[in-house]
Amino acid sequence: MLNGDLPRREAEHGDRAAWSALMARAQDGDQAAYRQLLYEITGYLRSLAARHHRNPADIEDTVQDILLTVHAIRHTYDPSRPFGPWLVAIAHRRSIDRLRRQGRARGREMPLEPAHETFAAPAANLTETAGDERALHAAIARLPEGQRRAITLLKLKEMSLKEAAGASGMSIAALKVATHRAVKNLRKILGDRSGRDRDT
Amino acid sequence: MIATPDLIEALAADAGPVRRLRHPLWRAACWLLLAAIIVLLIAVEVGVRADIDDRLRQTMFVVGLAAAALTGILAAIAAFMVSLPDRSRGWLLLPAPALIVWLSTIGYQCLTAWVKIGPAGIAPGETARCFATLFLTSFPLSLTLLLMLRYAAPVRPTETVMAGALAVAAITATAISLFHDIDATIMILMWNIGIAALLVGLGGTYARRLFAWLAPRPLPPLAIS
Repeated sequence: MLNGDLPRREAEHGDRAAWSALMARAQDGDQAAYRQLLYEITGYLRSLAARHHRNPADIEDTVQDILLTVHAIRHTYDPSRPFGPWLVAIAHRRSIDRLRRQGRARGREMPLEPAHETFAAPAANLTETAGDERALHAAIARLPEGQRRAITLLKLKEMSLKEAAGASGMSIAALKVATHRAVKNLRKILGDRSGRDRDT
Repeated sequence: MIATPDLIEALAADAGPVRRLRHPLWRAACWLLLAAIIVLLIAVEVGVRADIDDRLRQTMFVVGLAAAALTGILAAIAAFMVSLPDRSRGWLLLPAPALIVWLSTIGYQCLTAWVKIGPAGIAPGETARCFATLFLTSFPLSLTLLLMLRYAAPVRPTETVMAGALAVAAITATAISLFHDIDATIMILMWNIGIAALLVGLGGTYARRLFAWLAPRPLPPLAIS
């Protein structure tokens, strides 16, 4: 076991030394070195974050927090000192911060799920009947031709009376009458249905 | 949320050369030099207290003064050390021995002499003048320290603010015991540490907010959504 550990530890040590050199170059403005460093530490940061968080989205958020912090205070790194402790201290802090924030949020917030949504009237909870588009379209399709056209232009396409008159060739008065009758008919068709729902 | 590789590309594109911080001891020395200059300027302006010769012969006074000055120096070093992510938190204990000696020499306080009622009517008492010195010393020192340590905001805000407040308080106390003939230690501690503790205590995140307005911004154009 010891023999297995030793090369890995040496490799890790080599990694850290390389990171230290990359960071020193990044501080001097070498963007390629900086990009390489950030890509290389991401996996390590993910494993650090995974010690505190379980949700993959949280882990990824934490990793990004750490990267942003590393970026913001990269001038505080002293290349003559090891890179690992510097990075781990920042990573630890960001992980704990997120845990605290989540703890606070859990203390005063509650996830609002569809299951929690309920109203006194039973019909209001039946989302499929409350806003059933298909039923409305079916009802419109059952209207006589003139009324259907009036409803489509004025209500669905939201044209003004004047525009609708131009588009359909009907007079404004005829449109008004057709709309009035259409709404009445629709109310009858849909009302019958909801009445039936209420009864059951 | 943006993808991590995109974030890395954005950060790399934003990465210009940065100036590395000097050694924390060196930076603490710079700040202490500023503190010395401020105390010196006040000494020139206000003049040291009249009974300074007598007082300097009293062991208690000298010990207290030295302990306060030492606390200031050590707390400043601790603040600069602990503000760096990779330095041990143990540095916070550095000023503790000096602090204990200093606190054990505290005598009567100037908390009670706010106004002086004499033949000439009501005049601002020694406490008020004390307070003026206190403000003149601690305000610029606190502001400079806050600026010099602003990078600590994302990593160790609370520890840094507390150590820094102690440093300012101790130096202010040293200054006041040189300039005013009443002991103001408690007032100074209440003022500096008390306010810092209050700010830090008010919600666990206040120290970060205290720093937030001058903390280094990670990436201004990239909103962290």
